[in-house]
Amino acid sequence: MDLGFIITNAIVLSCIYGTLAIGISITWSSVGLINLSYGFIFAFAGYGAWYTAQFLSENGAIVLAAGILSGAFAGIVVCALAFIPIHDKPNFNVRGLIATLAISLIGTQGLMWWFGPRSKNLPDIFGSWSVMLGDMALTADKIGNVVTSIAFVAAVVLWMRSSRRGLEIRAMMMNPHAASIVGIGVRSTGFYVMAITGGMAGLAAVLLSQTYYISPFGGLTPMIKGVSIALCGGLGSVQGAVIAAMILGLNEAITSVTLGGQYVLITQFILIIGILLVRPRGIAGILDRAREA
Amino acid sequence: MANFWRNPLFGWGVDRAEESQPTLPHRPPQEPWDENRKSKVEMFPVGRPRLYYKWPGHGGWTWNRKRYWPTRRRLLNIRGEYNPKTMRREKTIVDKRPLWWVMALSFMVIAPWVMPEDFQTTLLTAGATFAIYAAINLVWMLVIGTAGIYSLATYAVVGAAGFGTAWLSINLGVPWYVLPFIGSAIGLVFGLIIAIPATRLDGFYYALLTLGLNELCRVYALQSKIFGSSTGGLYGADTYISEHWDDTTQSLVAYFACLTLMVLALVLFRFVNGKRIGRVLRMAPEKREAFAEATGVNFRQARIMVFVVSSIALGFIGGFYTAHYRGVSFSIFSFDTVLLGVAMLVIGGIGRAEGAVAGAAIVIFLDKALLSLGPIRLIIIGTIMLGVVLFLRGGLFGIKPQFRAWRDKKKSERRSTRAEKGGEMLPEEATETRDKDLIYWRRYDKMQRDFLKKLVSPEVIEEHRKSPLGQHSEALERLLLYFRRAPLSDKYAIIAVEPFKAYRIVALSGQRGVAPRIVEDRIYASQEEAYHGIFMRRVQDLLES
Repeated sequence: MDLGFIITNAIVLSCIYGTLAIGISITWSSVGLINLSYGFIFAFAGYGAWYTAQFLSENGAIVLAAGILSGAFAGIVVCALAFIPIHDKPNFNVRGLIATLAISLIGTQGLMWWFGPRSKNLPDIFGSWSVMLGDMALTADKIGNVVTSIAFVAAVVLWMRSSRRGLEIRAMMMNPHAASIVGIGVRSTGFYVMAITGGMAGLAAVLLSQTYYISPFGGLTPMIKGVSIALCGGLGSVQGAVIAAMILGLNEAITSVTLGGQYVLITQFILIIGILLVRPRGIAGILDRAREA
Repeated sequence: MANFWRNPLFGWGVDRAEESQPTLPHRPPQEPWDENRKSKVEMFPVGRPRLYYKWPGHGGWTWNRKRYWPTRRRLLNIRGEYNPKTMRREKTIVDKRPLWWVMALSFMVIAPWVMPEDFQTTLLTAGATFAIYAAINLVWMLVIGTAGIYSLATYAVVGAAGFGTAWLSINLGVPWYVLPFIGSAIGLVFGLIIAIPATRLDGFYYALLTLGLNELCRVYALQSKIFGSSTGGLYGADTYISEHWDDTTQSLVAYFACLTLMVLALVLFRFVNGKRIGRVLRMAPEKREAFAEATGVNFRQARIMVFVVSSIALGFIGGFYTAHYRGVSFSIFSFDTVLLGVAMLVIGGIGRAEGAVAGAAIVIFLDKALLSLGPIRLIIIGTIMLGVVLFLRGGLFGIKPQFRAWRDKKKSERRSTRAEKGGEMLPEEATETRDKDLIYWRRYDKMQRDFLKKLVSPEVIEEHRKSPLGQHSEALERLLLYFRRAPLSDKYAIIAVEPFKAYRIVALSGQRGVAPRIVEDRIYASQEEAYHGIFMRRVQDLLES
């Protein structure tokens, strides 16, 4: 196992997990919901893409789009179930968290019931070519993963910066109460946010399926990684999530090289706990102060 | 409406007097008064329904209350009172929960002898699992409910203690009766580790971090060879269930051992939640620490204390778990276990001992007794959990207070709809006015307007159009009298732009020296037309008021 291989792997994975982390971060900071059904959205999007690949077309772009769309759909369903009915009720934060946990339980068991425990795999989306960089072979899926995830996240961030809806979402992030006073619909914004972050989960699901498989419970580990990156970067901050994804990816690469693969999670958590002990709101967690209430 | 008003002046040579005019039947002016004075409040039999059964109480016994050691509490919280009607002494059991507990626990004790023979082994196994999970939940409830810290690493502590003791028992031959105590030591160490971030983090940050720790434990145990990555767990530890007993005895002993564990957990819950430390923790929930600190409460110490106590207890349960199942599997670290645990707490209601136990009973029943359903049973559990979270504020055991709050809200809503308004002064306004006559005048005026509104009809308007002046029918006369008595400010009047040719309607200012203002641009050709114009405007104002 050479260094270059590990580093490229770490970069690819941190790009994918970073996408998830940014999704979790945006959800939390704009609608105030810790979305623990993100793993279910991830798995659902994977199955959506798999269905498309089975019955519609194996074209990479179509499969990718199907994954994103089914992720967005699952996000909307989660929003309708866990955000709309209780977002103005007392104790929403905790109840929303538990509601998403319940959706996660129902959803993953439903997938298990419908598709069975056998895992599925998707076709190669980006083809099977490779580029030699020095003595290192960069395969198509690695380059494709990195480019696609960065492009998608950049597109979302740009959209949030430049569009009217993005302005609404950013206003919700800063002060949800004031945003609703000036006429920004909390519910409609909730649907937009959940659809977009669901789409991010869908994208991550399709991209990760180039390395791993799709299974009903396959969303759990990516979700936990995404959550830890989002925590570490500071819930609600895109830049923080990017920095945290890079740090944790680096940690993963270094640990795999020096200690061995099975210690990755341990060092990762020690690192996260260390960072959180120094900065309890994460690396860039200043925005979060607006979301205290 | 073939009702006619006969003009008494007809036949006396009065100008333009008609013999009769069509009009509405007579309405007595007493009508609105009677209507207004009538009570619209629905009358019920006197007194309130008795929501509690009232026990007859003897005066001498009321004050002779048993208290149990080591507290000074009474066995039951009984309120003594006099019945206001009969003046007889009565007793009300304010808190019936001890009675329910006694009934439930005694049912659990006699359950093995009343359950059907065919399912005895299955039910006893399920009962033992229920008791273990209920014990874990009770301890977890101390952290989540009493301390309000959302720690999801509970099963990680149990699992760590379980794996540690299982490994010691298998490799070093440690006997079963030592395992819970070694488990306590492991739990203490583990609890201290997860307590360190709790001093700095709060809320979701801590919840998500502990969730991650749980996953870390799972992955670590799954990958390490010494914890049996190939066999799905560590098995073969020493157990308290002797192999020489027959099957029934084995399951009976296991069931009662687990039940004892649950009772121990209940005692612990009561001694942490119901004592000083519980009070301290409940007054210092998250985001209210500053207040607690200002009142001199050392909440940090209390939190660390509850972490230490609960971790030791969880470790004990972990050691017992190993001794009970002869080992422990990876599934204790899985996300689904945490989910089911959260489901148990949420379904029962967070912060209550009965919630932890009843939630465990429901979930374990669905999970273990309906095994044949496959994944659907977990979907059912998830649906119940979702429903409870969306509709209930405090789980199943919070239904009663929630229902009462809802009923009181509805009551007050109905009470407020019964109060009539319309021109009358509101209570706040009435206390502020100097002239109290005004209050009664407004009330009278409102009644009068209500009555006059009913008199307005096309016939009346037609009658007025024909002759604005002179003798009128009763209804029209009443209307005109009311209109003429209006106060001067904003009273309509006619101004002659050009005598006998052009008239307009103006509104008086009510102040000497201030000219009237013009209310409309229309020019009336004659005085009578202008009179009728004013009448129509006033009728409109009356109907709109």
